[in-house]
Amino acid sequence: MAGRGKLIAVIGDEDTVTGFLLGGIGELNKNRHPNFLVVEKDTTINEIEDTFRSLGSLPGRVVEANPNQRDPPLWDEIDSRQFLNRDDIGIILINQYIAEMVRHALDAHQQSIPAVLEIPSKEHPYDAAKDSILRRARGMFTAEDLR
Amino acid sequence: MAALDLRAELDSLVLQLLGDLEELEGKRTVLNARVEEGWLSLAKARYAMGAKSVGPLQYASHMEPQVCLHASEAQEGLQKFKVVRAGVHAPEEVGPREAGLRRRKGPTKTPEPESSEAPQDPLNWFGILVPHSLRQAQASFRDGVLEAKKRKCFLERVIQCVVSPAAEQEAEDESCLEDWAAAVPAETSAKAI
Repeated sequence: MAGRGKLIAVIGDEDTVTGFLLGGIGELNKNRHPNFLVVEKDTTINEIEDTFRSLGSLPGRVVEANPNQRDPPLWDEIDSRQFLNRDDIGIILINQYIAEMVRHALDAHQQSIPAVLEIPSKEHPYDAAKDSILRRARGMFTAEDLR
Repeated sequence: MAALDLRAELDSLVLQLLGDLEELEGKRTVLNARVEEGWLSLAKARYAMGAKSVGPLQYASHMEPQVCLHASEAQEGLQKFKVVRAGVHAPEEVGPREAGLRRRKGPTKTPEPESSEAPQDPLNWFGILVPHSLRQAQASFRDGVLEAKKRKCFLERVIQCVVSPAAEQEAEDESCLEDWAAAVPAETSAKAI
């Protein structure tokens, strides 16, 4: 895996994911673990957050219904789906409107790898004021934006 | 004197940060333009092939990435990324080549069907003859991937600029606080005496 290099993950709407998969970044291995997530109307915020969290190696804060009941195979499945837990992902591309849904998870991600790049979607143009990194950079000069 | 040096270093870091932010903004604009071109081409392809012909239903059950990032250590501890694209497809030989070999030399070890070095072109998921707009969409998103990589390099420098001065200032504040905390008990005991 180390010799092959790092992957580019994508979390976005159907067109964004289809486009970047056409560009050749998609991976779906024999264990059925993809490096992409198509966000549709019925995709829950928990699912997006769950998929995103492990990409930045955050301490385990997976949302679960009953924390006392651990199903090891299920946890392995969740951990493998979570991008931040995977060390083979270098960049995460995410539509900005989806990033807004999980803004707290993005703001908690402090590491440079994997890098999170917010991109626009068809219905929601890019807004630099909402970008996590640019907001932090602006926070150096404006106290109200400083976190 | 040390404070002056620190301030000068902070000033240079801020200038570097502003320069990197400007470059980042330029790269972001290019990336967004490529992605928007890709969407338009995808819409044209969907119009030509049918609404449900270009979507997640056509994704392959097994995908291998054609693009990977290779990281190497650059100056100042920054990671340098290089986009590596998989090898060009060798033209497939159509015909009973293996059967012929078997007849000549007896049973031979048949090659594994999944051992091909070059991954399958994602265009093949959508059919053999795909419209030109779909190829244009693929080209746009491939350029977008390269721009994303370039943007990532600037992003890392911006992150380092944002994090390191703040950490240095916090360390300086903490050392000042410790000196003050150590000085207060001495003054208090002196006053008590």
